[in-house]
Amino acid sequence: MLSVLQKTTRPVQAARGLHKSALDVLKQPAPEDTVTASFGKFISEIKPQYLSPVALYRSKRMVLDSVGVGLIGSTTDVFELALQHCQHMHAPDPISSVYGRRGIRLSPTLAAFVNGVATHSMDFDDTWHPATHPSGAVLPAVLALSDMMPANSKPSGLDFLLAFNVGIEIQGRLMRFSNEAHNIPKRFHPPTVVGPMGSAAACARLLSLDPSQCSHALAIAASLAGAPMANAATQCKPLHIGNASRLGLEAALLASRGLEASPLVLDAVAGVAGFNAFYEDYVPQPLKSPSDNDNGHVFLLEEQDMGFKRFPAHLGMHWVADAAASVHKVLVGVDPGKVSPDQVQDILLRVPLSKYINRPFPESEHEARHSFQFNACSALLDGEVAVQSFSPAAMSRPELHALLSRVRLEHPQDNPANFNRMYGEVQVTLVGGDILKGRCDTFYGHWRNPLTNESLRKKFRNNAGVVLPSEKVERLIEAVEELDRLDDCGALLSQLE
Amino acid sequence: SQGITESFGAAIHALNATHLTDGVIHRSKRMMLDTLGVGLLGSRTAVFNKALMYSQRSSVWGRSEITLPPHYAAFVNGIAVHSMDFDDTWHPATHPSGAVLPALLALAETLASRPSGLDLLLAFNVGLEVQGRLMRFSREAYNIPERFHPPSVVGVMGSAAASAKLLGLSPAQCSHALAIAVSSAGAPLANAATQTKPLHIGNAARRGLEAAQLAQIGLEGNPAILDVANGLGVYYGDYNPSPMADSGAFRWILEDQNVAVKRIPAHLAMHWVVDAALAARAKLRDTVGTFDLSQIRQVTLRVPPSKYINCPLPASEHQARHSFQFNACSALLDGQVTVASFDRAQINRPALRELLSKVEVETPEDNPPSFDKMYCEVEIGSAEGRSAAARCDTFYGHWRKPLSQRDLVEKFSVNASSVLCPEGVEGLIDVVG
Repeated sequence: MLSVLQKTTRPVQAARGLHKSALDVLKQPAPEDTVTASFGKFISEIKPQYLSPVALYRSKRMVLDSVGVGLIGSTTDVFELALQHCQHMHAPDPISSVYGRRGIRLSPTLAAFVNGVATHSMDFDDTWHPATHPSGAVLPAVLALSDMMPANSKPSGLDFLLAFNVGIEIQGRLMRFSNEAHNIPKRFHPPTVVGPMGSAAACARLLSLDPSQCSHALAIAASLAGAPMANAATQCKPLHIGNASRLGLEAALLASRGLEASPLVLDAVAGVAGFNAFYEDYVPQPLKSPSDNDNGHVFLLEEQDMGFKRFPAHLGMHWVADAAASVHKVLVGVDPGKVSPDQVQDILLRVPLSKYINRPFPESEHEARHSFQFNACSALLDGEVAVQSFSPAAMSRPELHALLSRVRLEHPQDNPANFNRMYGEVQVTLVGGDILKGRCDTFYGHWRNPLTNESLRKKFRNNAGVVLPSEKVERLIEAVEELDRLDDCGALLSQLE
Repeated sequence: SQGITESFGAAIHALNATHLTDGVIHRSKRMMLDTLGVGLLGSRTAVFNKALMYSQRSSVWGRSEITLPPHYAAFVNGIAVHSMDFDDTWHPATHPSGAVLPALLALAETLASRPSGLDLLLAFNVGLEVQGRLMRFSREAYNIPERFHPPSVVGVMGSAAASAKLLGLSPAQCSHALAIAVSSAGAPLANAATQTKPLHIGNAARRGLEAAQLAQIGLEGNPAILDVANGLGVYYGDYNPSPMADSGAFRWILEDQNVAVKRIPAHLAMHWVVDAALAARAKLRDTVGTFDLSQIRQVTLRVPPSKYINCPLPASEHQARHSFQFNACSALLDGQVTVASFDRAQINRPALRELLSKVEVETPEDNPPSFDKMYCEVEIGSAEGRSAAARCDTFYGHWRKPLSQRDLVEKFSVNASSVLCPEGVEGLIDVVG
C-alpha cells in the first residue's frame, strides 16, 4: 500500500490548490508506531514483576482508602437513588456486589456504576497531581470484573493489583500530554476525561486482551469520555466517577468481543480530533512497553504520590481548613470554650482563583463541599472539618451563617490554581482590632505530607465501620495489606459484602 | 428573568400536541419511517451483533425473539440506525432521528399506559427541536465537524428531552434531565469512519433516556447547565445560548429546515460526489458512445476540505462510507452506489483499487465544509486527452430537493424487507403514515 501511495504522491504534490490535510492523510504513521498502539502494547504486556515495592505500597493504600470511602458513600442519598435506578431499569443480573448492601448484586457494569457513585458521593476519595480522582474510576470496575470471573479462576491478588495500577498509570500518562491538565480544571471534569481511559485500561489488563484489543478498548472509551465542570458541586457529580468506571469496563468488554475503533485516538491528527478533543494543548508521547525497555517500567505512582482527604470535601478545602484550624486553636487558647461569631469582625481568605469552589452561601451539601468560605468557617468554629460538618443540622447553624457573612476572598498573584503549588491563608480580624493569621502550604494528607498508615487506617475504620461490623473491617484491612500475596482475590471480594 | 436552562425545561414541559403543525407532522413522520427502515436493515450488521451480544428487555428491531432492558434496547437499536450511515442528516449537522426514536420506542414499551401515536410524535419532535435549538448556539456547529461528533453532543440532549416529554416530567425535572445528559455528551470525531461510530448514536439514545429517568427519580444537576460557559458550552469553540420561547410564540425548526434523507448508506457528503460522478460518466459515454474504464487516465475530485472523509484507500466498510474517492470510483465503475457497494468483496475489487489509484482530490477555496453550501465536481480525464466534468450542487434527497413520498416509502420497503415479511413492512408503512 505504501508504494502505491508513493506513486500517487509525486504528481499530487505538483498539483495546485491541494489542501494540506490531504497531504497529511498520505503521510500517516505506520500502525505500529502510533502513540495509540504503544499504549495498547504496554497494557497488554505489562507484568506484575514490574510493580516495585513503592508502587505496591502506595497502591495498596489507595485501594484501602477507596474501599472505605465507597462503603461510607453507600449511605448517601445519591447512592440510594443510583441503586434504585439500576435495580428498576435493568433486569436482575446477580453477579457483582454492591458496597454496603449485602445480598444485592447487579450486572458488572451497573455494580461498577453504583460503587463509583458511592466512592465520589461525598468527595472523600483520593486526588492526584495532575488533578483527577484516579482510584474511584478504576477500583469499582476491577472489583466488578473480578466478581464476574468464575469462582475457580479468580485473578490472584497480584493480578488484581497490577490491573489497578495499570488503570492509575494510564490516567497519569494521559494527563501529562497537556499543560492544561496540571491546573485546577475549568472545562471538563478530569475524572470524566481520563477516568474511563484508566478503567478501560485496567479492565483490558485484567481480561488479558491482546495489544490491539487494548488499543481499541482505549479508543472506544474515548467516545464515552468527557463531562463539563458545570455539574461539579451538584448531586450529579458523583455520577462522573460512576460512569467513568462503568463505561471503561464496558469499553473493555466491547473490545474483547471484537469491536474496533480508531487506531489513532491518542495521536494528534490535524482536522480530526481524537482524545485531544478534550484539551486545548495536547502533545502525546508513546508509552514504552516493558518488554522493549531494559530498565523495566517506572510507574508514575512511584514518582508522584497520592493525596488522601481527611474530610469529605474538594481538595482545595483542605488548605483553608488547616489554616482556619490553627486560628481556632489560638482563639480557644485565648478564651477557652467555643468560638463565638461575636468575637469576629472580619474573615479574609487568600486562596487561588477558581469559580466553582468559591461559594459564599452554599445551599446543599454538594455546594458546601465546594466552598472555601464554608470550610474555613466550619474549621474556625469547630477546630476541624469532619464528615458531620456537612449534615443538615451542622450546615444550618446560626453561628456558621454569622461567620459566613463576614468572609471576603482575595486571590493573590502568587497563589496559582494548582494543587501542587497553592496555599491557603485565613486572616481573622477580631472585634477589638487584633488580627490572627493562619497559613497552610501543605495540608496533612497532601502528597508532600502523606497520611501515616495509622491515620489512613483510622479514616478507613471510621468509614467502613458505618456499614460493616468491626470484624469485617479488620479483615478488609488485612486482605488489602496482603493483596499482593493472595492467590485468589476472592478473599478480598468476600469481605466487601 | 428566566435562565436559559429554565426556559428549556419550561418549554419541554409546556409543549403539547396542539402545537404540532401539519408541516411538522408530515416531515417528522417521514423521518420516523426512514429511521425504522434503516434500523431494521442495520440489525444485520456486524457492529449491531456485537453490541447485542454485549447487552443481553424492550424490543429489539428485527428480532422478535429478544427483548432487552430499555436502555440496552435503545442502545442496540440506535446502533442499528447508524450502523451503515444511512440515517437522516440535518442542518446544522447532526443525525437527529437515530438519537431519539430508539429511546422513545424503548421507553414507550415500559410505560404502564401506552402513549398514543400523537404523544409519541410530540415527544419525537421535542427531541428534534431541542437538538436544533442547541446547535444554533454555535457558529462552529454550522460546518462539517472537526472535534466532537455532533450526535454525541446534541443527540443525547434530544433523547433526554424527548424522554422527559414522554414521561411527563415537570419543568424543573426536564431541566435536570438536560443537565444530567450534558455529563454524558461528547465523543471525539476520531471514531468516525470506524466500527465504533454507530455507538455514538446508540449511546446518545441510551444515555439521554437514562438522564430523563434519573431526573424522574430526583437526581439533580446544574440548573444553569445551558447558560454557563462550563456546561454544554465546553463542546464548542464559540457558544452563545438563548432561551427557548414557551408555547406562546413557538415555531418548530423542522418547519423551516427539513432534513436530508440518504439514498446511499454513506456520509452525506458522498451523495454530492456520487451524483457528480454519475453525471460525468454519462457525459463521457454520450461523447464517445461507450464508457470504457480502461480509457480513464485521471479522476479529479473537487470537494470541501474535511479530513475524515478524505480516504484514498479505504480498508473497511466504515472507511469506505467516509471516502470521497471510494464513492466516486464506485459510481464510475458501477453506474450506481447501493447498499451492496460496501460489501467486503466490492471494496476489494482490483478494478476499483486500480481506479482509486488514479484519483486526485482538490479543495477549492469556494467550496466550504458546510452541508448547506458545499458542492462536488468530478472531472474524468481519458487517455485520448478528452475530459468530461460534472458538478453537483444539490443531490436528490437533500433538504433543498427532498425525496418524493414514493421514493421515501420505496427506500423503507427495501430496507425493512431485509428482515420483515411483506405484511410487516406494509403494516409499518400504514401505522406511521
